[in-house]
Amino acid sequence: MDVKAIRTEGLSKRYGSVDALSDLDLEVAEGEVVGYLGPNGAGKTTTIRLLLGLIRPTRGRAEIFGLDSQRQAVEAHRRVAYVAGEANLWPSLTGAETLHLLGRVQGRVDSAYRDELIGRFDFDPSKKVRAYSKGNRQKLILIAALMTRADLLVLDEPTSGLDPLMEQAFRHSVHEAREQGQTIFLSSHILSEVEALCDRVGILRDGVLIDMGTLAELRHLSSLTVEATFDGSVPDLSRVPGVSSVEYDGRVVRCQVRGSVEPLLQVLAASSVHELLSREPSLEELFLAHYGASTEPEGKPPNAG
Amino acid sequence: MPVDAPTRAPTREGRRPGAVVAGLTARRAARSGLLWGYVFSLFVASTALGYAATYKTQTARDHLAATFGTNAAIDALIGPAHQIQTVAGFTAWRSLGVLSIVGAVWGLLAGSRLLRGEEDAGRWEVLVAGQTTRRRATGQALVGLGAGAATLWTLTAIVTTVVGRSAKVHIEAGQALFFALSLVAGATMFLAVGALSSQLAATRRQAAAYGGALLGLSYALRLVADSTSGFGWLRWVSPLGWVEELEPVVAQRALALLPIAGFTAALVVLTVWLAGRRDLGASVLPDRASALARTRLLSGTTGLAVRLARPTLVGWAAAIALFALVIGFIAKAAGTVITSSSSAEHAIARLGVSGTGARLFLGVTFLMVALLVALVAAGQAVAARTEEAEGQLDNLLVRPVHRASWLAGRLVVTATALVISGGLAGLSTWLGATSQHSHVGLGDLVSAGANIVPPAVCVLGVGVLALGFWPRAVSTAAYGLVAWSFLVDLIGGLIGLNHWVLDTSVFHQMAPAPAVSVHWSTDAVMVAIGVAMAAVGGLALARRDLQGN
Repeated sequence: MDVKAIRTEGLSKRYGSVDALSDLDLEVAEGEVVGYLGPNGAGKTTTIRLLLGLIRPTRGRAEIFGLDSQRQAVEAHRRVAYVAGEANLWPSLTGAETLHLLGRVQGRVDSAYRDELIGRFDFDPSKKVRAYSKGNRQKLILIAALMTRADLLVLDEPTSGLDPLMEQAFRHSVHEAREQGQTIFLSSHILSEVEALCDRVGILRDGVLIDMGTLAELRHLSSLTVEATFDGSVPDLSRVPGVSSVEYDGRVVRCQVRGSVEPLLQVLAASSVHELLSREPSLEELFLAHYGASTEPEGKPPNAG
Repeated sequence: MPVDAPTRAPTREGRRPGAVVAGLTARRAARSGLLWGYVFSLFVASTALGYAATYKTQTARDHLAATFGTNAAIDALIGPAHQIQTVAGFTAWRSLGVLSIVGAVWGLLAGSRLLRGEEDAGRWEVLVAGQTTRRRATGQALVGLGAGAATLWTLTAIVTTVVGRSAKVHIEAGQALFFALSLVAGATMFLAVGALSSQLAATRRQAAAYGGALLGLSYALRLVADSTSGFGWLRWVSPLGWVEELEPVVAQRALALLPIAGFTAALVVLTVWLAGRRDLGASVLPDRASALARTRLLSGTTGLAVRLARPTLVGWAAAIALFALVIGFIAKAAGTVITSSSSAEHAIARLGVSGTGARLFLGVTFLMVALLVALVAAGQAVAARTEEAEGQLDNLLVRPVHRASWLAGRLVVTATALVISGGLAGLSTWLGATSQHSHVGLGDLVSAGANIVPPAVCVLGVGVLALGFWPRAVSTAAYGLVAWSFLVDLIGGLIGLNHWVLDTSVFHQMAPAPAVSVHWSTDAVMVAIGVAMAAVGGLALARRDLQGN
């Protein structure tokens, strides 16, 4: 069995009577870019703190490159770089001093790349940390993580506080890391970010991983949106197999199709269609489908079937 | 799709949304005021009852008055003694001398913590963004601080009145209220100083340092005024001098309340005015936002620990060295008076000290130096916890750093600072003493300096033990042990406490060198206990979840 960048087995964390994370089984292969989605309080940060050995699991275990997150944390951390959602740094050190310290502690730094990142993020390292805005502190810990070119980047809502320009710079850096063969674990609730960057996506709700797959796989389980505008009479689509949620708006019809589109196309071909639009559900729609249907039994994708 | 019209207006939570800041600050200040009110009360009650029990006859009391009443050295340390042949007079003198300084330190720390500390933590921003302005919020916070001072006064006044009713002590109710007012005057003024320096400085630590400098200056002016003839007027330019001028119980000079009230009011007005003029998070005095990178130390966790703790440790070391220089300087004069009076010697013998002259005086006053060094240890234990609580430690522990090596780095730096502080204390005392030809040898004083380190190591050990098992209680455990030990040792001997209670004081375990020779074996045991507690705490830290605030 090949070594996974991240592997967890039944990883669980309980605080008092609250299950922050329940029986997480997760595998991330080397070189993969995985998105980790969930609303606030779903257990994303708990997962990451368990992976990094900052907190101890109630049950189960986690490995990074085959090294136990708790017992071999230091060995594992040599290959990891982490960006927290909130940059809590030493206020009296300057940006340059912080980068120097964190680089020395990590043990490896690509200095040329660090300087390139400082330019790319338009970061002024001469100021003291307490004088930086939230966004600038976030840039600082991003640069500190990326400059090590670690084998695994663990990013916990890394772009909070960044402006759209810097968000672009961040995406560019993640693409670079991926081209270098680095593995990336990106926790986020910015769906467009995950959609643009990730190969696979895991969706977490109330501490339970309720779905995991490539975007294509997740979409396959869900329906396609079709919108047709007719020149003449509008046919009745509600009895076409696989079609649901039909909405009429004058000569425009909107509906959802699950499974094969063949029956729908046959009906449409018989009518005079002026315009036909179809699109895959966005990640946002997938996400809302998971969370909107709160009456669905847990652990089962609501749209599977 | 039509937008849903709001169905109802937001409801008002609570009665006075504008008074939130006052309430929050008042609750925290009052809790702290209550705790210190107990300390103040305990001190006043034990001083009064201890004196009454120890000096039973008027002859013994007159002897004591003859000794301390004419002693420039003691005058310099805690102010001149008046009518200490009475229980009330002695209690007023001793309590005011010690508690006005303790109260000023409390006020300074509480004021800067509840204003600049809250701002540093970002909580102030949330409050000021609500239905208030910076000026109004600051005004409210000052009202909250006032509630803290009022709590301190109330508790102290109640206990002083009750103790005063005792036939042995005899302080009238009116006198007791004025006495309690005098005791909290220093605290009140320095609460305002803490609030003002919170506007001037860019960080809480800086604010505390500015206020600390004013407190030091104020103490120095008072010291010169009380020990040098012709300079008595200096008392009127020092906040601590005004407190001394109040002379509660004995003379009750209400006139001195004027500068105290005026000073406090002026600071309050200035604080509110400055709060409106500056940006949130900014300081009035220029703060260097940029600096040249100094990376020499920043190659690992121990270097980082040095870098982070250095400003604090250097400040403490300077304060300790200065204090030691002063007690060395006055040791001969003070010692001569003590040995010429059998009753004073007797009094000091009750603190477990024997010997002659300057050595005897230094044996007693080294307790104060030991207290300062123990406070350094407690502060560093709290600093380690703060680094964890504020999330800065995460940055190290997600990299290849063992928790144990982070902690060890911090402990090595602290231990080194404690040893240096002890050594400096011995050396500075020797310099001061030698300048007055006191004939106390360098070796003895360096040993005495080394002797005050083991109690501090114990305090550090307790702090680290708490860090391992009850991280949120580090401050309470470390500072609590120091305060408990100091009070037990200071008053335990006077009122004849049970030896089991006395033994819980880390200072009681320490031999009062240089009055007696150092008990190296006891010191070794104390260091071993401290190291063992730190080791157990370190093991527990490695096995627990990291915890924020």
